[in-house]
Amino acid sequence: MPEARRFELAMSPHVSATATTRRVMTDVSIALLPALAAAVYFFGFRVLLLTGLSVVAAVLAELLCLRFMKKPVNIVLDGSAVVTGILLAYNVPPGVPWWLPVLGSAFAIVVAKQAFGGLGNNIVNPALLGRAFLMASFPVLMTAGWWAPLANGPAGNDSWDQSGIPSADLLEADVITGATPLNLLKQTYTWDTGATEALEGGDSEGAEALRRKASGVRAMLSSEQTRLSLFLGRVGGCIGETSALMLVLGALYLFARKVLEPRLPLFYLGAVALFGWLFGGPGFFQGDPLFHLLSGGVILGGFFMVTDMVTTPVTKTGRIIFGVGAGLLTMVIRRWGGYPEGCSYSILLMNLATPLIDRYTKPLAFGEVKKND
Amino acid sequence: MSLAREFVKGIYKENPIFRIVLGMCPFLAVSVSVENALGMGAAAGFVLVCSNFLVSLLRNAIPSKVRIPCYIVIIATFVTIVDLIMNAYLPDLHRNLGIFIPLIVVNCIILGRAEGFANKNSVPAAIADGLGMGLGFTFAMIVMATFREILGNGTWLGINLLGEAYTSQPLLIAVLAPGAFILMGFILGFFNILDNRRKGGAR
Repeated sequence: MPEARRFELAMSPHVSATATTRRVMTDVSIALLPALAAAVYFFGFRVLLLTGLSVVAAVLAELLCLRFMKKPVNIVLDGSAVVTGILLAYNVPPGVPWWLPVLGSAFAIVVAKQAFGGLGNNIVNPALLGRAFLMASFPVLMTAGWWAPLANGPAGNDSWDQSGIPSADLLEADVITGATPLNLLKQTYTWDTGATEALEGGDSEGAEALRRKASGVRAMLSSEQTRLSLFLGRVGGCIGETSALMLVLGALYLFARKVLEPRLPLFYLGAVALFGWLFGGPGFFQGDPLFHLLSGGVILGGFFMVTDMVTTPVTKTGRIIFGVGAGLLTMVIRRWGGYPEGCSYSILLMNLATPLIDRYTKPLAFGEVKKND
Repeated sequence: MSLAREFVKGIYKENPIFRIVLGMCPFLAVSVSVENALGMGAAAGFVLVCSNFLVSLLRNAIPSKVRIPCYIVIIATFVTIVDLIMNAYLPDLHRNLGIFIPLIVVNCIILGRAEGFANKNSVPAAIADGLGMGLGFTFAMIVMATFREILGNGTWLGINLLGEAYTSQPLLIAVLAPGAFILMGFILGFFNILDNRRKGGAR
């Protein structure tokens, strides 16, 4: 009966969204490209090779897993493996051997994602678990592969040291043990503790020297020049994390495409700034929030990993709790933890808490009455 | 016939680690090297056989209300013997196994066999069961330790297998706690696949 076709019947829901996994993943990949351009500019073409290998390894691992588990192989076309591969490569230093990101992304896909049932069932962010795996397995390679940026300031100018941070006279030669700004910051905490101990031991001169050293480095880290370097990405660090500018550009694209929900990144970044100011400095309320925001993986994590749709809460309140919790943990690890940077571990820990957060922040269904017990 | 069956079941069909999943604590903690695995397997196996024997022998004499304390006393006796002998003759191994030797007292496998098998069966059956379970535990320890030692250290029973290039930069996580859990997951998955195949074939 042709006239019946005029009244189309369909099951609810009647509002449909155009977002598909493939579209979202393509958008995220595009948004990650500016940071790659910055990495190539600062660290050379090797990072392109590392990122490419990582992506290829992730896709191949996904294909093999799907084959092995007798699932439809075209699932790999959803692009989530590509994003995992890119993010994993962004989380390793540029000086690592080529097999390291390959191993990391294979682990991320096989163990963190497919072993739990594939996209949507993974309990933690695969790329971050891949990074944690590499950190636990190859601590030396993962912390010694820092490269000084190629384009670190005016050529032949010795006021720029290896880390791309202007070295003042305050900075003695024995200071540079690591090339990232966060390594330097961690060093200042050690000196602070050393100064307190020296003072208790009656060595006031030694304490004074240590304290001067710490405050000198701190002043340098908070200087305008350092801030500019951090913002542009002219510092040592992991492949994709150094250039705040390029990452923010990518994030703006995602906001424009409505892929990102603003709550998670804003509360995460806000919490890092707040707690950084609270206890990220020598004493309370003496930290430099801008430094803590721009250094390390906070911008990369805040826009591209805290926002992972699978492993973060779905409720609005839950997202606020997640963001603030991850920000607090990031700063706690930076200040008191064993590693200079806590971004990846804080997000992994909050990923694990996500089911609990969702459960306690479940909103009332329409018509449901709140129980008074 | 039936004695042989009691012996064989512990090795694969009712393997305490891979099938019943008991005694995870020493299994995950000590399986970092094949040497430790052999030592732990031998120690636990010895205690298992001896406690099975004594529990079975005394099964009619132990009042059922206080049976668990009685088992613990019996097991602790043999654990003390193992502990002292190892300390005297194998001090290095004893140091490596550390707290996990005294902890055999509360090992679920041993208590489980005493409670679930030895107190209901004759002495020969209990000994056969203890031997089988002990071997099954040792077998599981060696399988796990083989993976962990080769991946995490490049060696097997101290013999360098993968060369200098690997041992200088091994997959450290394999000898750390997370590596144990991840490998355990894969090994259990593998045994489940085997089991499904076997059931599917029988159908």
